[in-house]
Amino acid sequence: MSDTIHIELTINGAAKSADIDPRLLLVEAIRDTFGYKGTHIGCLTGDCGACTIELNGEIEKSCLVLAASADGGEIRTIEGIAPDDGGLHPVQQAFWDEYGFQCGYCLPGMLFAALDLIESNPTPDEAQIRHAISGNYCRCTGYNNIVTSIQTAAQRMAAAK
Amino acid sequence: MSVASPYPKAVPEANRYIGQRSRKLKGDQFLTGKTEYVNDLELLGTVHMSVLRSPHPHARIRNVDLSRVRQDPRCISALDGEEAKQHADPIPHFISAAVFGGKYNDVRVIATGKVTYRGQIVAAVVAPSRGDADALLDLIDVDYEVLPFVLDGDEALEPGAPLLYDTEGWEDNVVIRIPFVEGDFDAAAAGADHTLEDTFYHHRYSTQPIETRGYIASWDPRAEAYTLHFATQNPHPLRWVLSAALRVSEAQIRIIAPTIGGGFGLKMPGHPEEGLTCVFSRILGKPVKWIEERDEALLLGAREHFHRFKVAFNADGKIVGLRNHFTANVGSISACPGWGMAFLAGLSFPTGYKIPATDVVVTAVTTNKAPWQAARGYGKEGPQIVMERIIDLVAEATGIDPAEVRRRNFINKDEFPYKTNSGLNIDSGDYHQALETALKLLDYDGFKAKQAAALAEGRHIGFGIAFELTPESADIPGTIVGGYDTSTVKMDPSGKVTLLTGVTTPGSGNDGGIAQIVADTLGVDLDGITVIQGDTDICPYGFGNYSGRSMVSGGNAALLAARDIRVKLSKVAAFMLEAAEDDLVFDQGKISVAGTDKAVAIKDVANVIYTLAFATAHMVEPPLEATRVYKPDNIVHFPDEKGRIQPYPTYSNAVHVAIVEVDTETGKVDLQRFGVLHDCGNMINPMFVEGQMHGAAVMGFGAALSEECKYNADGSLAADRFKTYMMQRANEIPMVEVEHQVTPSPFTLLGVKGAGEAGVGGAAGAIINAVNDAIRPTGARLRRTPASPIHVLAALKEAQ
Repeated sequence: MSDTIHIELTINGAAKSADIDPRLLLVEAIRDTFGYKGTHIGCLTGDCGACTIELNGEIEKSCLVLAASADGGEIRTIEGIAPDDGGLHPVQQAFWDEYGFQCGYCLPGMLFAALDLIESNPTPDEAQIRHAISGNYCRCTGYNNIVTSIQTAAQRMAAAK
Repeated sequence: MSVASPYPKAVPEANRYIGQRSRKLKGDQFLTGKTEYVNDLELLGTVHMSVLRSPHPHARIRNVDLSRVRQDPRCISALDGEEAKQHADPIPHFISAAVFGGKYNDVRVIATGKVTYRGQIVAAVVAPSRGDADALLDLIDVDYEVLPFVLDGDEALEPGAPLLYDTEGWEDNVVIRIPFVEGDFDAAAAGADHTLEDTFYHHRYSTQPIETRGYIASWDPRAEAYTLHFATQNPHPLRWVLSAALRVSEAQIRIIAPTIGGGFGLKMPGHPEEGLTCVFSRILGKPVKWIEERDEALLLGAREHFHRFKVAFNADGKIVGLRNHFTANVGSISACPGWGMAFLAGLSFPTGYKIPATDVVVTAVTTNKAPWQAARGYGKEGPQIVMERIIDLVAEATGIDPAEVRRRNFINKDEFPYKTNSGLNIDSGDYHQALETALKLLDYDGFKAKQAAALAEGRHIGFGIAFELTPESADIPGTIVGGYDTSTVKMDPSGKVTLLTGVTTPGSGNDGGIAQIVADTLGVDLDGITVIQGDTDICPYGFGNYSGRSMVSGGNAALLAARDIRVKLSKVAAFMLEAAEDDLVFDQGKISVAGTDKAVAIKDVANVIYTLAFATAHMVEPPLEATRVYKPDNIVHFPDEKGRIQPYPTYSNAVHVAIVEVDTETGKVDLQRFGVLHDCGNMINPMFVEGQMHGAAVMGFGAALSEECKYNADGSLAADRFKTYMMQRANEIPMVEVEHQVTPSPFTLLGVKGAGEAGVGGAAGAIINAVNDAIRPTGARLRRTPASPIHVLAALKEAQ
């Protein structure tokens, strides 16, 4: 077997470390080494977005990142979006209320894109929302209710401020 | 012929849930990443399979040499086709063409003798990790005798074309030729004011759920039984398929389908990898896992039709005859149900139009492309696109408005049930009203002026209309495609309800819809209901997910089962409340006496039935469990005097409208607005129905504009990843604007019709018509899908 490399990461606030194959993709490390299965694999070519995570504050498609290169990084996965005290984040709540997903497989990409957009633009219009999620494929919803969910989430979050 | 329903039409009195926009069950689990898909399961001791695929579209396998791979310490097991034959018989065809008089060919888990498409499995290995298994494929040496190949359907029909199969009965490449002929077309054409002839090519495209296929097979040597965690739409039918191929009884196979990340037909049974993981697991006594890669998923296409049609019509726009002899290039033969789409494409003509003489013949031809697999629409989407082109061509030729030509040819609302030329018995509808509503959605009347103004500025905008008829919830006789289904409802002694059903959800939310029916029937809260689907050892027998059947079959079966439980609760509650059963109202977890404040909690009645079976509840049979089947009316399998059968109980319909702008410099089509009027009868949950239509319509956008399983001349797939197989992205498309019309089915208990497949063909048809409307001033005509820049430019150039 090839030599391993030691990495240390923070995932959803928890310190993690492992000796990994240097060829391992970050998505494989997150799923198989560290057990966060909510991050999905749809294409492994960076096109579908099902593997989206947040790495050091930026959203990334984790199939395009080598796990070794993320050493020392701070990661948030779909499991880390909801508040620690239970319940759902307003973006998650809106996706449930507006039927913003069907099979659920694309949710990592859609939720992180929504969070990223609303953080930088609290009142996005339809075109801005469509642009923000255009890196992610969804095959079930035709994007209609995803757009509506993000509009609803943004309005609710603005009203709550 | 209409058949009266033996069931009362009544729905429960208190509709807290039926017809409401209840949220998806367990939505919070999905949203927090807790839902388990097949690739998330980790069974102890799992090893991983990878398959070697043929690099040639057509070749004889002289020899497969596994000696080098077997010497590698990472190799746990390896098989070639001849060895696999020792462990598995041919895979039964899910829908065999032979049942309908067509040809058959053995399909095995690994090819033997020869390969007929690039990508066919020739060997397989198992290793500790998928990465190792993939790497080991390089150590397999296969000696091929390369043969001439054919990719084009018409070329495959020519004399002297390479023959794919040299087994008995294959004197040519025709899989099956099916005529749907009624009336005298030639006489109709001779007597008509006009005729026109043209062609239309409906290209090959595919399903592509974001979750690919995935299987984990576990053979337990002590119990001598398989447990299969398979991402499948049809657990019980798959059990039958695998039992035959693997030489075990169905009782030795338990299939557990976890949450599915989208299906759309791809995850219907017959794939060689299903049986192959089982074979390895039995050899090794360990769980064997295989997850499909995207380039593997893209091998499986659907729909490649070349239509040559002749239409006879009068000056008033009335169509009197249609001849359409078309080929369906179904690729290589597989055990999956894909080829059947060709059959249903022929059967579905002429959709919702009254045409006295029809001469439709479909020829399914096998070629050296990869097989078809079922795809949403299941063949019915093609006729929508072609019929709607035909209507627009008649409008152009007569100078009559295309909407008016539709009005003049539609079946009238007072003519239902209406028997079509191919023998379908269309249940109900109001197509004229549907058209008017759809036209208003995008202001059809105001468009002509906008179009003229745009053209004056050199911009080409167009409006497209497409009617869509969607036969749903099929039962195909002699196959494992059933139109009925089974549901079990149980209420436990604490009053909680468990619902088990033979239909499965690929993500659509039918679990929630069926639970809504049960909640209202029993007067309980929706969140007190647990739904179990997809487990062949636990769930009642059922056919799973296809053909928009979940509410029609599983939903109505659950209604019947819940009513059986309700009858018992009612008897005991009447005794407890000293009231007449007719006066009882079931609502909000209570059974109360109408007009009084007397009431008892349903959970208390349930408890009495379990604990006082010989006293208070003496008059009913415990426990509170009921299993019922629902067989919808209107399916007729005894052939009529003309030999025609009627395999569909329900016929949803829709009218789609699209506005596009075509850039004549670049060939790019910009879809600016899209609307659809949808009628699928009564809706259990309009939000779920709309979700189905949104998704199907956008698949239709992809079909019309960008998705294409393009092949290279050497027989390899050019579109083998998402960088080359281009699905629609959110920023390329507008909202799908949906409106409903409700014409209940007279043939199903709840008045529901199928929903889920409608949208693909209608949306594509509207867009193709809109593109043609936009480019009409240039003299060009687009005679194919997709309207991607290269094909639009070719059409424009041809007109110059």
